[in-house]
Amino acid sequence: MHPVPVPPLLRATAVTMDYGGGAVALAGLTVEVPPGSVGLVGANGAGKTTLFRLMLGLMQPSSGALEVTGRNVAADPVGIRSRLGYMPEHDCLPLDQTASDVVATFGELAGLPPRAARQRASDVLDLVGLDEARFRPVGGFSTGMRQRTKLAQALVADPQLVLLDEPTAGLDPVGREDMLELVGRLAGFGISIILATHLLDDVQRVCDHVVMIDRGRLVLAGPIDQLMQTTGVLRVEVGGRAGAVEVVAAALAERGLAARAVDAHSVEVDTREHGEIAFDIVRDTVADNGLRLYALTTRHRSLDDLFLQEAGR
Amino acid sequence: MTTLPPTMPGAVYDRGYRPYDGPRGGRRHATMALWRLSVRRALGLRRSWRQKYFPWSLLAITTVPAIVNVGVGYAIKDDPLELPEFEFFTYREYVGVSTALLLFVALTAPDIVCPDRAQRVLPLLFSRPLTGVDYVVAKVGAMATIVFGFGFLPHVVLFVGQMLVSDGALDYLTDNAEVLWQVPVSVAILALYYAAIGVALASLTDRRIVGGVAILGMALITSAVSGILVQASDGSTALAVVNVLALPLAVRDLVFLGHIGPESGLSGVDGGGVLAVGAYLVVLLSALALLFHRYREVDL
Repeated sequence: MHPVPVPPLLRATAVTMDYGGGAVALAGLTVEVPPGSVGLVGANGAGKTTLFRLMLGLMQPSSGALEVTGRNVAADPVGIRSRLGYMPEHDCLPLDQTASDVVATFGELAGLPPRAARQRASDVLDLVGLDEARFRPVGGFSTGMRQRTKLAQALVADPQLVLLDEPTAGLDPVGREDMLELVGRLAGFGISIILATHLLDDVQRVCDHVVMIDRGRLVLAGPIDQLMQTTGVLRVEVGGRAGAVEVVAAALAERGLAARAVDAHSVEVDTREHGEIAFDIVRDTVADNGLRLYALTTRHRSLDDLFLQEAGR
Repeated sequence: MTTLPPTMPGAVYDRGYRPYDGPRGGRRHATMALWRLSVRRALGLRRSWRQKYFPWSLLAITTVPAIVNVGVGYAIKDDPLELPEFEFFTYREYVGVSTALLLFVALTAPDIVCPDRAQRVLPLLFSRPLTGVDYVVAKVGAMATIVFGFGFLPHVVLFVGQMLVSDGALDYLTDNAEVLWQVPVSVAILALYYAAIGVALASLTDRRIVGGVAILGMALITSAVSGILVQASDGSTALAVVNVLALPLAVRDLVFLGHIGPESGLSGVDGGGVLAVGAYLVVLLSALALLFHRYREVDL
């Protein structure tokens, strides 16, 4: 028996969105991402919200084709929304209603029968940690509680995919940690997410795939663990006497390793020409000079490095 | 001898996440849900008593004349003087308790549309399987349903009451059988019209108070202008059509009488009936067109 092929979460083929007057939000975007947790990264105005609008079928692209969870958005722009959840960045909740009523309302609007919507609203509010506040009006909630309510309404109808637009915006450090922890749990429930943000740390924390766009164009897409491969740079922390860093840098240079002091205790060594033998050379060099070796670490590329490098900034 | 199990420490269960595999509705379900939620909001259900006070008081007020009519009819029923059958007002006139209904629309229509825009709820609504047309249908439908209910229920009280206090209930029913269709049709004409105008004007602003004032202001201004024009024309002129809120009452007259009633400024105007129906349709369709335009597209 052949396994059932899983359709990609998003397949964009040469998607262009031209608002007219020279405002091109997306310029021939072609990308395919698998189900899971996907970070959509880009600066303000990069085209993230436009891509969400197109995915929700709220407008048609000027050209190109878009598939979401294997369904052509142009063929059924309204029906596609029944299996999507959306959490906007801005305030969007009816302030005079209780959290329970708000979430149940959006459950009903997503197609659930009233009784099921109310039951799931209770469950989902429990899940996001608002079980005791569910009967309080949203207008009296803190920013963190409102964000949780927004997440709850996005989850109430058990969507296949949730579009999260800057879910940590405006949160304090504790609230941000809590929100990221919640978002990180969604994959375990079988719910895919697309997390639009300009905070690369958030993506690195909870996503396994990243799509970077800049000025409507694709910069980079792929699995995060593959993109964040080692840079070939060793960071060496030494001590034992004054000027240890300079001594080590000079000694490594004599042995053919390019090295430079980065601060009073550390040297960065380019190992790309020598490979793993460079570790032994560094260790021996430090020992031969009677110094102490405190740390020897490989430096990984961060998503920030990648974005800046690929976007040419 | 039985032994008790060792004391178990308290346990916390993480219920986790439960997928949903039950039935799911589409656009029609979402539209009905929005209609239901809007009706609930307008009637103050699941809201504080202050939000309930106004709509239910209004229903009581619109029903009072029917109760008085029936009560007086009952009191003089066995009068030895054999007074003529008491009729405080006719069914046709009772459809015209439009001032109370207009006040209701002015206060409620802004309440069911303005917060959606002011609090930026529209992007969330339109991320569900709903279109702008569905939104308009649900909101106008909700408003029309309540206005119809508040306009029709007092007639039910009046009809049933009159029937019970009459000398012969069956005779009363057969003698007044035509109002069984005239009343619902004319109340529906009025309800749809007021609902569409009220929601359309309210959709132009984010602020409820501005929406309410706009609705009442339009009613007052067009009625005053029409009054001046009618007076200047010795009580009858085609220009009376500018009183947009009186147009459904002119159509009501056509339903009940087959011609425009004597109290209308259009009475005696050649083709007054056609003019009234045409103006009614123009205003109604314009209000709906404005609404469809306002909600054709929503920014996230």
